[in-house]
Amino acid sequence: MEQFLQAAIIGISLGAQYSLLALGFTLIFGILGVVNFSLGWVFELFLLERLVDDHLATLMLTLGLYLIMSTGMLTIFGPLSMEFTFPVTGALRMGPIYVARENLIVLAICLAMIGVLWVLLFRTDLGRGLRALADDRAVARAQGLSPKLLFPMAFAIATGLAGLTGALVTPILSLSPAVGDPVLATSFLTVILGGLGSLEGAAIAAFIVGIVEAFSSVYFGGSVGALILFVLVLLLLVFRPTGLLGRTVRGA
Amino acid sequence: MKLRLLAALVCALPTASYAQNCEMKLGAMGPMSGGAAQWGLAMNSAAELAAAEVNAQGGVKLNGKMCKVVVVPYDSKYTADGAAAGSNALAAQDIHLIIGPVGSPEATGIKPVAARNGQVAWNAAYAKNSLEPKYPLMFHIAPGPGVWADAVIKRAMKEFPMKSVALIAPNDQGGTDIASVDAEAYKANGIKTTEEYYQRGTTNFAPIVTRILASNPDVVDTASSPPGDAGVIIKQLRLAGFKGAVGRLGGPGTDEILRVAGGIDVVKNFYWFETVATADPKVREIDDEYKKLLGKDPVGGTAVWADLPAARMTLKAVSIAGTDDAKAVAAELRKLPVDDPNMGKGYWTGKKQFGIAQELSFPFGIGIIKDGKNLGVERQDARPD
Repeated sequence: MEQFLQAAIIGISLGAQYSLLALGFTLIFGILGVVNFSLGWVFELFLLERLVDDHLATLMLTLGLYLIMSTGMLTIFGPLSMEFTFPVTGALRMGPIYVARENLIVLAICLAMIGVLWVLLFRTDLGRGLRALADDRAVARAQGLSPKLLFPMAFAIATGLAGLTGALVTPILSLSPAVGDPVLATSFLTVILGGLGSLEGAAIAAFIVGIVEAFSSVYFGGSVGALILFVLVLLLLVFRPTGLLGRTVRGA
Repeated sequence: MKLRLLAALVCALPTASYAQNCEMKLGAMGPMSGGAAQWGLAMNSAAELAAAEVNAQGGVKLNGKMCKVVVVPYDSKYTADGAAAGSNALAAQDIHLIIGPVGSPEATGIKPVAARNGQVAWNAAYAKNSLEPKYPLMFHIAPGPGVWADAVIKRAMKEFPMKSVALIAPNDQGGTDIASVDAEAYKANGIKTTEEYYQRGTTNFAPIVTRILASNPDVVDTASSPPGDAGVIIKQLRLAGFKGAVGRLGGPGTDEILRVAGGIDVVKNFYWFETVATADPKVREIDDEYKKLLGKDPVGGTAVWADLPAARMTLKAVSIAGTDDAKAVAAELRKLPVDDPNMGKGYWTGKKQFGIAQELSFPFGIGIIKDGKNLGVERQDARPD
C-alpha cells in the first residue's frame, strides 16, 4: 500500500512536469500547425513565418535549430552539470510516504498555468483570435485578424512555458546541456496521446503518462516501465488515431 | 637537358611542399554530446595533449620526416552505430590510429569496422569483451571491474559495514556488463545483491528509487550509470530517506556527481573507484602541462589523466615504427614498456580475462567520503595478470 501511494504521488509530480512542456507544444501546434522541437522565438519570427504552411519544412527547421542550440550550449558551457538547487528543499513525510516540497510547488504552478492558459484561450479576445486563426486562417484574416501579431504572441507564450518548466524542473534533476532531450521525447508523446492541438487532451495525457511511468517503473522496473508506456500509447493510437481529445483535421 | 631539369623541378615541387606541410592525423573518439559527453571530450583532451607534447619536440617521425600531429575528434554518441560510422569517417580521412571510443556499445560497434579499415583503436569500455584475440588492433585503456572491484569492496566494507547492496545501471551493454561483474564481486565478499536496470535517457529516478528501497538495502551502488544520472539517483535516494552509503564501482565522475546531487553534505557517505590515483601530485601535473601547452583547461575531469598514456604510447610507437600503418604501430606498441612519466609504472594485462595482453594497467585509486568529509583517494598499485 505504501508503495502504491508513493507511486501515485510520483506519477502526479511527473505529470505536472510533462504537462507544462506539452502545453507549449500544443499551443504551437493548435494555432500554427507547426510541430516545434526548438521553442526558439527569434528564429521562428524570421524563418518559420515564411514556411508556416509547410509542415515538413517547419519540423526540419525546428529540429535543426534545436540541435544548433544544444550544441551551442555544450560549446559555451561545457559538458558538465552545474550545481543548481531549488530554493525550497526537503520533503513532507507521513511515515514511509514522502512528497518532495519542490514537486508540490511545480504541481501548484502547473495547475495555475493550465487555468491561465484556458482563460486566455477561451475567455479573452486574444484567445478567440488565436483559435480563429487555428480554425480557418483565410477567414480569420478576412475578419481583420493579423497573424503577424498573433503568431509571435503564441510563440512567446509557448517559449515562456518551456522556460518556466526548465527553471522549475532542472534544479530538481540536473542542469546539463542534454537534460532536455529525453523529456522532449516524452512531452511530444504526451501531445500525440492527448490529441495534437487539444489543450485539455495534453493536460490529461501528461498526467496519464506520468502515472503510467511511475506505476510501471515501481512495479516492473526501469526497463519494462519505459516499454509499457510506449506500448500503451501505441495501442491507444491504433484504436484512436486522433489521440484522447484530438479531432480529425482532414481525411486521408 | 632544360626539359629534364624542368621535369625534375616539377617532380620535386610536391615533395618539398609535402615535407613542409607533413602532418599525421590522430583520431579521438567518444561521446562528445549527451549525458556521457565528459568521457568522450576527455579522450579528445588526452589526444590533444599527447599531440602537443610530441609537436613541441618537432612532431612524430613518419617515413623519415618529422610530421606535426593533428587531432581529429569524432562524436560517436555512446552508440554502436556511432562508433562504427566514426571508424569509417576517420578512415575516409586516412586516419589509422584512434584514441577511443569510450562505452561498451561503442566498443562493440567499432571492433569489426576498425579491423576492416585497418585501424588501431583504444577503447575504455568495461565490457566483458572489450578485447578479443580476433581483433588484434584493438587496445584497452584500463582494466574493468573484474580486476579492481574486489579491492574497492574490501576497502569500503571497513568504513561502511554492509550485508546487502542494490546495484543500479542502464539496461544496455554499458550498464549490464559492469553491474553484473560488480554483483559477482559483492557476492564473493558475502554480500547479498540485487540488480536494477533503467532505460538510458531516464531523467527522473524517483520511481526506480522507490522500487530499490522496497528491498531495504544497506548500500546502493550506481555502477556505470553516467555521472549526471548517478547524481540525480543519490539526490532522490536521500530525499526518499535513504541513510546508507552509496558506492560507485564504475566510470569516474565524482566531481560531477557531487555537483548534481547537491554537494558533499547530501552525498554524505560514498565510496568509488578512480581509474587513476588522483591524489598523486605527479598525476595532477597533467592539467598544468595541458594549460601550458594548449593555453586552456582540459575538458573531461580525471578521465583525461586515464586516457593520456594510451595516446602518448601510440605516438611513441609511430615514431619507432616510422609509419602510421596500424599493424606496424600495434607491433611496436606491444613491445613498449608500460611506464608513464605521470602515472608511474604499470603492466600490459588482459591475457587472463580476454586472452590478449593489450590492456594498460596503471595504479588506480579508491575514494571515500564519510559523514560528509572527503577522506581522499587512496593509491592502489597495479598488479600483473
